[in-house]
Amino acid sequence: MEKEKVLIKGNYAIAQAAVNAGCQCYFGYPITPQTEIGEYLSGKMQGLGRGYVCAESELAAINMVMGAVSTGVKAMTSSSSCAVALMQEALSYAASDELPVVLVNVMRTGPGLGYIYPAQGDYNQAVYGGGNGDYKIIVLAPSTVQECVDLTYRAFYLAQKYRNPVILLADGLLGQMMEPASFGDYPYPEVDVSSWALTGAKGREARKIYSVAPDEKKQIQHIYDLHKKFEVISQNETSYEEFNVDDADYILTAFGSMTRNIKAAMNVLREKGLKIGAFRPITLSPFPYTRINELATKKKDFIVVEMNMGQMFKDVKYAINGKSNVELVNRPCGEWLSVEEIVSSVEKIIGRKQYAASI
Amino acid sequence: MQQVFSIPKSMKKDFKYTFCPGCDHGIAIRLVAEVIDELGIREDIISSTSVGCSVFLYDFLDIDCVEAPHGRALASATGVKRARPDKFVFTYSGDGDFASIGLAESMHTALRGENISSICINNTTYGMTGGQLGPTTLLGQKTTTSPTGRNVDYYGYPIKIAEHIALCEGTAYSARVALDTVPHINQAKQAIKKAFQVQLEGLGFGFVEILSSCPTNWHMTPEEAHKRVREEMMPVFPLGVFKEVNNGN
Amino acid sequence: METNFILAGFGGQGILLAGTILANAFMLEGKNVTWYPCYGAEMRGGTVNCEIVVSDTEVSSVHKQDTDYALVLNQQSFDKFVKRVKAGGTIISNSTLVADSRPRNDINYIFAPMTELANNLGTSKVTNIVSLGVLASVCNIVSKDYLAKGIEKVLNEKKKDLIPLNIKALNAIEKECLV
Repeated sequence: MEKEKVLIKGNYAIAQAAVNAGCQCYFGYPITPQTEIGEYLSGKMQGLGRGYVCAESELAAINMVMGAVSTGVKAMTSSSSCAVALMQEALSYAASDELPVVLVNVMRTGPGLGYIYPAQGDYNQAVYGGGNGDYKIIVLAPSTVQECVDLTYRAFYLAQKYRNPVILLADGLLGQMMEPASFGDYPYPEVDVSSWALTGAKGREARKIYSVAPDEKKQIQHIYDLHKKFEVISQNETSYEEFNVDDADYILTAFGSMTRNIKAAMNVLREKGLKIGAFRPITLSPFPYTRINELATKKKDFIVVEMNMGQMFKDVKYAINGKSNVELVNRPCGEWLSVEEIVSSVEKIIGRKQYAASI
Repeated sequence: MQQVFSIPKSMKKDFKYTFCPGCDHGIAIRLVAEVIDELGIREDIISSTSVGCSVFLYDFLDIDCVEAPHGRALASATGVKRARPDKFVFTYSGDGDFASIGLAESMHTALRGENISSICINNTTYGMTGGQLGPTTLLGQKTTTSPTGRNVDYYGYPIKIAEHIALCEGTAYSARVALDTVPHINQAKQAIKKAFQVQLEGLGFGFVEILSSCPTNWHMTPEEAHKRVREEMMPVFPLGVFKEVNNGN
Repeated sequence: METNFILAGFGGQGILLAGTILANAFMLEGKNVTWYPCYGAEMRGGTVNCEIVVSDTEVSSVHKQDTDYALVLNQQSFDKFVKRVKAGGTIISNSTLVADSRPRNDINYIFAPMTELANNLGTSKVTNIVSLGVLASVCNIVSKDYLAKGIEKVLNEKKKDLIPLNIKALNAIEKECLV
């Protein structure tokens, strides 16, 4: 496939990337602002002879994905915020069953039904989860339409490589906006699933994929094993971007589509002579704790900018571990914090600190 | 010497039933195994399991299984079948899993006419948790959560599962059978076979509701329990075939 | 260098399509561009707008508080967006449906009878494309050649036979008509 650029909505980009990645089945239920994903895939999947079900609920949709991926194929569902809440039970099962589920959450506003305004209020839901027990999900947060493509590819690969559920955490802004993007071919190797996939017990022992272990020792070992696996994922797959951090006194930090706003604010503040950098986790889970801690050790303060009440803020604070300071610039939902608002908030924070240092 | 009895090949070699004495699950699972053997489909099977006493199916049958959360067996099975239409997919649930927490998934699977076979054990109670009121608990029946008996004003009505599934246009076969007598056991096996065959022929959803005893939670001997199946359950849940679609019909 | 545009009107006027064509034109010209829609719950009749940001470098933010250019096709959109034009910016109005008023003296006003010009071509449905032609006439970073390519790219998939009419609509405005 040639690398021609097309002007495409984030939702359609995710859907087409899923097709290119070899997603064999899609199961979903409509909810704004991600309905285009299911609409786009309905015709595509049928045309390609792949599976597509307009599920009766989000509960059913994600359980259909679990059934499908248990056979070794790639499959996904997509939804938004309050409906992703319905899927938390299944994510806990999928993590325990080590099923490579791919879930796209195009965030809207909560809590409850909320509204279709864009927001980033599902950071905790994605990273810490709403399911029961000790489990971890890989969470990828795109910031551009191009990354909607690239990280959808990566989601399918990581899910199968580690047999772990992956959430692609986009937001309504990204889902609805158009931007030029190129697709290219699916860039990852196919993962060999033959050692565990269910294909019928032909010429081998029957396999069962399950999480119940009516044996205390086995259950304890199972949880240790899952966490050991996630340590490997943390070592291999943690990814982030940073800009102008070397000489920075303050590092603006954001995830998802807010990234572009902090980069622009950084440029404006640099022109004003302030030493500002920017940092952006691409994997929200595993979170780049180590790198943030290194930067904090060099006495760089952090300013977290996000469209929620300070959810990633807590992870940055935990990463810093008292070695430097962290401030929050936020709004719960709706109109994205503009570059001007970020600039003026940062100036206020710096002014306050300088005043405090002078007395 | 002529061998007149053997363990079905689809049962695990070293299996030992862990069900309560007198429970009908053992008979039902054995019938499923015999049908699998007779149709020669063991190596093609992927089963989505349920939650409840029925979950132990995967300890006894030598087939590939994936677990589903409580009530989601039919959704999971739909995913399996859409991913691998060439495989044989069936579920084995209790009435709580199939018709209470999972009613939406079960009905919609039937409505879509998925080529899936499904068996539901109806014993009028939640067995694994110790005998609470379930979707099929009979009027008047005492359970740990209906201590004075199920009365309509307070608890509403039980569901007639096989009749409801028969109403779905995607259903190819829906029947209710029982395991209280040898003739009924033989009929049950034929019904399971039919529900499996409609999948093999691509006709749609195949369903069997099996009236079963739960002597422990009913506080009865196995014999008394089977008498209850006959005298109390069958008048409310009549045996029979409620829908049958044949090839070319 | 970053420039932003708001296109606004009522649902059914083809605002989102016009924005898509404009964004495609910028993309085909090799620029960085984003398109972001805003609409009410109604499928038709409500107000609708989209924002296009074009930049030599990565687009800073997709949704901005003010705009360099506002292209408004009805009165409500004029009333709403005249306040959001940057000082020194320009509001371009469809004078068939927007009264000539100039509530601010720090911005530029362009009025053109877009619906009337579209009707002269046989259908009011191309008002949106006429408006893009007007925009290109007054904004030198928007090129009619690339708009024509944008039209071809966007309409090529399902409405190929409508391309000639739309190219005509793009060229409906003569610079002299602008007031």
